[in-house]
Amino acid sequence: MNKIIITKNLVKKFEGGTVKALNGVNLEVFEGEFIAIMGPSGCGKSTLLNIIGGLDRPTSGEVVVDDIDLCKVGNLDDFRAKKIGFVFQLHNLIPVLTACENVQMPMFELKLSNKERNEKAEKLLKLVGLEERKDFVPTKLSGGERQKIAIARALANDPKILLVDEPTGNLDSVSGHEIIRVFQRLNKDGRTIVLVTHDKEIAEHANAIYHMKDGKILEQK
Amino acid sequence: MRFLALIFKNMLRRKTRSVFTILGISIGIATIIALGAVMSGITSSMEGLLKSGKADFSVAERGVSDLMFSRISENRTDEIEALEGVRKAAGVIIGFYPVENNPFFLVWGVEKEDLPTVGVNIVNGSFFSQDYELIIGEVASKELTKNVGDKLILREKEFSITGVFETGSIYQDKGIALSLRKLQEMENQEGYVTIIYVELEEGVNVEEVSQRIEERFPDLVTIKSASELGKVDKGLEMMDAGSLAVSFLAILIGGIGVTNTMMMSIYERIREIGVLRALGWRRKRILSMVLGESILLCSFSVLIGSLLGILGTKLLMLHPVIKGVLVPMYTTETFARAFAVAFAVGLIGGSYPAYRASKLSPSEALRYE
Repeated sequence: MNKIIITKNLVKKFEGGTVKALNGVNLEVFEGEFIAIMGPSGCGKSTLLNIIGGLDRPTSGEVVVDDIDLCKVGNLDDFRAKKIGFVFQLHNLIPVLTACENVQMPMFELKLSNKERNEKAEKLLKLVGLEERKDFVPTKLSGGERQKIAIARALANDPKILLVDEPTGNLDSVSGHEIIRVFQRLNKDGRTIVLVTHDKEIAEHANAIYHMKDGKILEQK
Repeated sequence: MRFLALIFKNMLRRKTRSVFTILGISIGIATIIALGAVMSGITSSMEGLLKSGKADFSVAERGVSDLMFSRISENRTDEIEALEGVRKAAGVIIGFYPVENNPFFLVWGVEKEDLPTVGVNIVNGSFFSQDYELIIGEVASKELTKNVGDKLILREKEFSITGVFETGSIYQDKGIALSLRKLQEMENQEGYVTIIYVELEEGVNVEEVSQRIEERFPDLVTIKSASELGKVDKGLEMMDAGSLAVSFLAILIGGIGVTNTMMMSIYERIREIGVLRALGWRRKRILSMVLGESILLCSFSVLIGSLLGILGTKLLMLHPVIKGVLVPMYTTETFARAFAVAFAVGLIGGSYPAYRASKLSPSEALRYE
């Protein structure tokens, strides 16, 4: 299997170098793998996820995703649009848009017609089991349903990698497990998933668990 | 979902704020529409007055700030008529008199035989033949409910109405015409006229004759089109400059309003912008979305402002004094100017917030609480 994510000696400093969020992170993720990263708040999990997803740049070190050296790419918009799907703890759906319209948001950067966007969004909603809710605005949906829509939105541009930051943090255990089952299904279909979580029970659904502390990966289970 | 639908939905997020912003810009647009309509009306009236009937152009005194101050020796009429290519020259004196509720009633003094040259057609009754007789314009006749055989008081002197006329110009049809000699006497302007209408022989070059007149009589100026009205009416030029100044003020005030609204909107959506960037939206798309929202706000302002402007002008026209002297005209140019101002407000007002939004770092925006 190919290595799809490689980080070498990744360092990220904030506030003029006084705060070291990442302190030499080395990570290798294979294509089709489902890994979980655990650790206490402030250990650098989200910072690592942001750098892998091209939202932020490291202070030093290397990060290669799907054979693209992110430190050598000037503008990462295109990389994010085509390679990465993000799911956040707070679903961050646009409140004035329906479920179907929210799923279509990333598709504006693709050359699709209005009809194609609609059809694709409906298919993705079906994939997460919410085709019946396509015309509902986020306030009319439960927390679990909103997170599923956020997952459908992350899949809109058919990315190879899903980066997931505390997806069940705001959900009850039943909804949390439903969400995890969606990720397991997506992983079975060949998508690489990097999941950041506090929840040990949720992390145990992954193929591999990495523990982080003080900006370093300590061990792999 | 179309991108434009997203822009529209974003605008509706804070309905009250959007409505007040639209209203603020609409007032500026309404002012531009109302001023434009009044200006176009005055220009059209002036043009009608200066290029009346069969006349190819008119002649007034050079250097006057207002046409009403023009004073030309009556002899000039004969001298112009004697020029080669000129068929007819008709000297007319123009005055404004208070009649009933209207303090600025247009009164023409004109020789009976010159009436066709200045475009007066009798639709009822006959021309005046004596000093204390006059003919009344069709519109004035209706407004004053005066007809043939009725009396009209001008400067405490009673005149009989012998006919009703029409010229095709509402402004002139709101006035009256009487004998040149009588009006000269009433105005203490014996031997002088305000304006000379010049009718040329067929096929004669207008430019050439007007140039000859200006060369031969340096104290006179010719007016062939609306663009030359400024030669005899500085007031119009000043009003035009005023209207332009109002447009710039509308851009400035409206622009600040739009900037404020859009900045508030951006601050409320920082995290959301971060998410959109994380989902792959390019800076340009964020820029287009924010600019689109501000331009859409201003597009609604054009619609509402135009309606308010028309309504405001109609209300203004209910005043008897204004009604007597003004006929507002809504031209494409006026609406085009209002649209251009609104577009400029949207573009200028939305630029800074759009730039700020597009420059947000996605990771920082996602951390924003």
